[in-house]
Amino acid sequence: VNTYLDSRVEHGRRLSRFIVFGLVIVLAVGALTARLFYLQVASGTQFAALSTANRTVLEPIPAPRGLIYDRNGRLLVSNVPTFSVKVRPADLPNSQRDAVVERLAALLRADASEIHGTIDANPGSAFDLVRIAQDVDQATANLISEAGFELPGVEVVVEARRSYTDGPLMSHLIGYTGPVAPEQLADLRALGYQPDDLIGKAGVENQYEAELRGIYGAESVERDATGRRTQVLQTVRDAQPGASLTLTIDTQAQKDAERALRWAMKKIGMTRGVVIAMNPQTGEVLAMVSLPTYDNNLFARGISVSDYDKLLQDEDKPLINHAVQAHYAPGSTYKLVTGTGGLADKEISASTRLTTKAYLTLGSTKFYEWNRRGWGPCDIYCGFGHSSDTYFYQVAGMLGADRLGYWANQYGFGELTGIDLPGEVRGIVPTNEWKQNALGAPMFAGETYQAGIGQGYDAVTPLQLINAFAALANGGTLYQPQIVREVVGPDGTVVRPFEPKVLHEMKVKDSVLRVMRNAARETVTLRHTYNLVDMPIKIAGKSGTAEFGTPDAKGRLPYSSFFVGFTPKNPVKGSFNRTDSELVVMAFAHDSRTVGNAATEIVKYFFQLHYDIEKDYRLPELLKRGNFYGND
Amino acid sequence: MGVIRAEPIRATDWAAKSVGAAWRAFDLQLATYATLLAATGLVMAYTNSVDSIGGGTALEAGTTFTRGLMWAGIAVVFFILATVFDYRWLKTLAWPVYAFQLGLLVLTLAIGDGVGGSARWISVGPFTFQFSELAKILMIVVLANYLASRHGRLDSLRTILGACVLVAPPLALVMLQPDLGTSLVFGAILAGMLWMSGASLRWLAALAAVGIAMVPIAWTYVLRDYQKERLTSFLAADKDLQGAGYQLYQSQIAIGSGGWMGKGLTNGTQAQGDFLPVQTTDFVFAILAEELGFVGAMVLFGLFVLLLWRVLVAGWRSRDPFGTMFAAGLASMILFQLVVNVGMVMGIMPITGIPLPFVTHGGASLVSMAIGLGILQSVNIRQTRAEW
Repeated sequence: VNTYLDSRVEHGRRLSRFIVFGLVIVLAVGALTARLFYLQVASGTQFAALSTANRTVLEPIPAPRGLIYDRNGRLLVSNVPTFSVKVRPADLPNSQRDAVVERLAALLRADASEIHGTIDANPGSAFDLVRIAQDVDQATANLISEAGFELPGVEVVVEARRSYTDGPLMSHLIGYTGPVAPEQLADLRALGYQPDDLIGKAGVENQYEAELRGIYGAESVERDATGRRTQVLQTVRDAQPGASLTLTIDTQAQKDAERALRWAMKKIGMTRGVVIAMNPQTGEVLAMVSLPTYDNNLFARGISVSDYDKLLQDEDKPLINHAVQAHYAPGSTYKLVTGTGGLADKEISASTRLTTKAYLTLGSTKFYEWNRRGWGPCDIYCGFGHSSDTYFYQVAGMLGADRLGYWANQYGFGELTGIDLPGEVRGIVPTNEWKQNALGAPMFAGETYQAGIGQGYDAVTPLQLINAFAALANGGTLYQPQIVREVVGPDGTVVRPFEPKVLHEMKVKDSVLRVMRNAARETVTLRHTYNLVDMPIKIAGKSGTAEFGTPDAKGRLPYSSFFVGFTPKNPVKGSFNRTDSELVVMAFAHDSRTVGNAATEIVKYFFQLHYDIEKDYRLPELLKRGNFYGND
Repeated sequence: MGVIRAEPIRATDWAAKSVGAAWRAFDLQLATYATLLAATGLVMAYTNSVDSIGGGTALEAGTTFTRGLMWAGIAVVFFILATVFDYRWLKTLAWPVYAFQLGLLVLTLAIGDGVGGSARWISVGPFTFQFSELAKILMIVVLANYLASRHGRLDSLRTILGACVLVAPPLALVMLQPDLGTSLVFGAILAGMLWMSGASLRWLAALAAVGIAMVPIAWTYVLRDYQKERLTSFLAADKDLQGAGYQLYQSQIAIGSGGWMGKGLTNGTQAQGDFLPVQTTDFVFAILAEELGFVGAMVLFGLFVLLLWRVLVAGWRSRDPFGTMFAAGLASMILFQLVVNVGMVMGIMPITGIPLPFVTHGGASLVSMAIGLGILQSVNIRQTRAEW
């Protein structure tokens, strides 16, 4: 293949080979230039956009969550800045994941497999942040941020954490915030929730989530390849802080209620109880204590699995607000319904005397008086004051199950009170229709007797019970109990002022309720409640003892005690003929099994604390565990 | 093999010759282009050392830039030494040079360090040196000597096979490191030099056919999985953005977003945001294209073309076949590395880890290039004496 050029050999140099080599250089560099032109000039704008997209992301700006105050302006919940460690899975290369997680686990003193699990359980996309740890101390947070390049995809974020001033004292009312559950996320996404977002989980935090949360803003953020924010480019939308709440709760009353309840629980060795105080004129809840309780700050800091399990395993269910989320047989306090119904339906009058005795017989069944004796002929004052079972068996029998149920509904039993707390239960008011639906048979007469004294199928929440007595005290208006008094916007303006909400006016004459109020006063003056009458304030009320559960070896059932009491507006000089009461208090002592009525002692102690009564009227001997069975 | 013609071997002669060398023939253009290219590399090292996020200065000890400056100084010293040194001694010393080359590669295999079980560089104190870079220049010396000595018998198959036999041991040693990129450079040097030697086209074609036939065998028995992955990832870079394709994808974004004029030095968001790994080494061109744009990259290409032109001119002018062959080898090596490196960064060539001559940060590569150019200058100033 000897061409002319090829033959021009001079000192081993062939021009043709040089020319071809030169051509190769030109062609190769030309090809590179063409490719470069295509990348940089022809599709330059497209790549410029990719480069911008690479480093800018739209990130939400969390809105400061609304604060919560008590009725006197005491700060109950605040936001404190804390460090959280988060991972953006898209920025964590698979090849490095094990090493990065291993390193994180060491820094956080956590379990690597748990971190892997958290990342894998991420309900969002790979571009959403996953919270690995919260409330991380500053030193650890610094270590992790400084190791940025060795920990790709890991970010340290300053987040606001809820700080609950009084912790366990208010946990059931305020609740807590926690991470959004994966199954909720689909629905919440539309509302702007992030997979690593916090949401109100219980109490007011949950009930008023929409108000407290505010509206998240958005900003475009430039970041580097490891996901570190390098700068904020632009705030697309400012965050709107959430609204604040003012509760109806009076912290002092709440503390007094808890103190009174804890005192009795400790004395008795009892494990579960409720105290509620309300203003019957408005439905405002001044105090609501359910024990045992839990510390909502544990949840705010990210509760450990073992702590959470402990709360779940506790058989007294500390996570349940027993005031609204559980129902119990109300015992003799329910005689309010029976008495009111009897008078209103004119089955009896205030002066009608019914014979009370050791027991009534219905068929072959004996229905005993609680003291196995009775008081002879008794009017409503005597019957309610002594809490005579045989008196109210007879009234219940006159009314029948359905009329009894009607009057129970009039007092709000069997209906939700509508309190602004989550998870309220309805209770049970046994009527023929109810029993037909539930058990497939109408009410037997004996069951109606039991229903008339708050036993049998009757089930009420402590809140329903106090709300019924509030209606008695205020002259027949059933209010919706409220926990949140006002919603205050971030600029300080009241968005939703307080307004009492009426559920219904009871269809009953004022005179009937006046008789029942004075009958409730008789309970105190007849010393059925021991020395309550000796106190320098006037109290009317009703105690109750309710059996539950299964009998012991001697055939005796465990029992709980109730007391609901109220005072006139002027507690010293006032009269129960009036309907001006501004304070009604109830106590529930679950499984108390004491010689006297434990709940009465709790309410007594609360009144002592609340009205600053210096003399101590408490009777600790009544709180001894005993076999005095059926003290009513 | 042919008899190696020994020049007078006396130390005084060596000094006399270098003094007597025609320094007028020193190719100032060649030196200028090379210097500009190396300066470009330093500028890229500088822009990378400026931490736009952390705010550190590039002038602190231990940054890529300061280490680059140090290596540039060393390279200048070696360039001068190689220029002053009479290249004709290399013909005398060709076999010891070959032995030295093999020794370096064996040493690297024996005590070298590398990433993930490979053995690529030798560490002495804080310094590392990749001997395979120097081995490429030594290979050119050995091949140039061999082909020059067989000058006149270039139509024979024996010459071509002989050259292949010479290249085979170092190529195999480099493959064992394993360093696929450098072994390909050896192949390119061999091909370029055989072409320029005027070897018979028929035999060259046959050799190329054999080479192509070897590809499937090498693919099945020689290449490791990660090498295959790297070789093929450029074909579908957008399929595996979290894995092998990530670097390629990010480098193309870097280049593409540079546009006509670039984002300006130290302003490359791809570079400064560390979206692009190994910025100062094999992917330095991506940063250059991002920060200096199409215009800057064209200037770089221009410098390379001019440099190659001067290398070929030196080879053409050389009356000594050794000089011609040496220039051919050097030009082949520079061109091959340029095309493969820049092509890789732009996504049209497989990822092979071949440095961009002069520009890629790395002492061994720069010093080896300086030695190569020094030898070429030595050829320059010692040829013209006889001609003019």
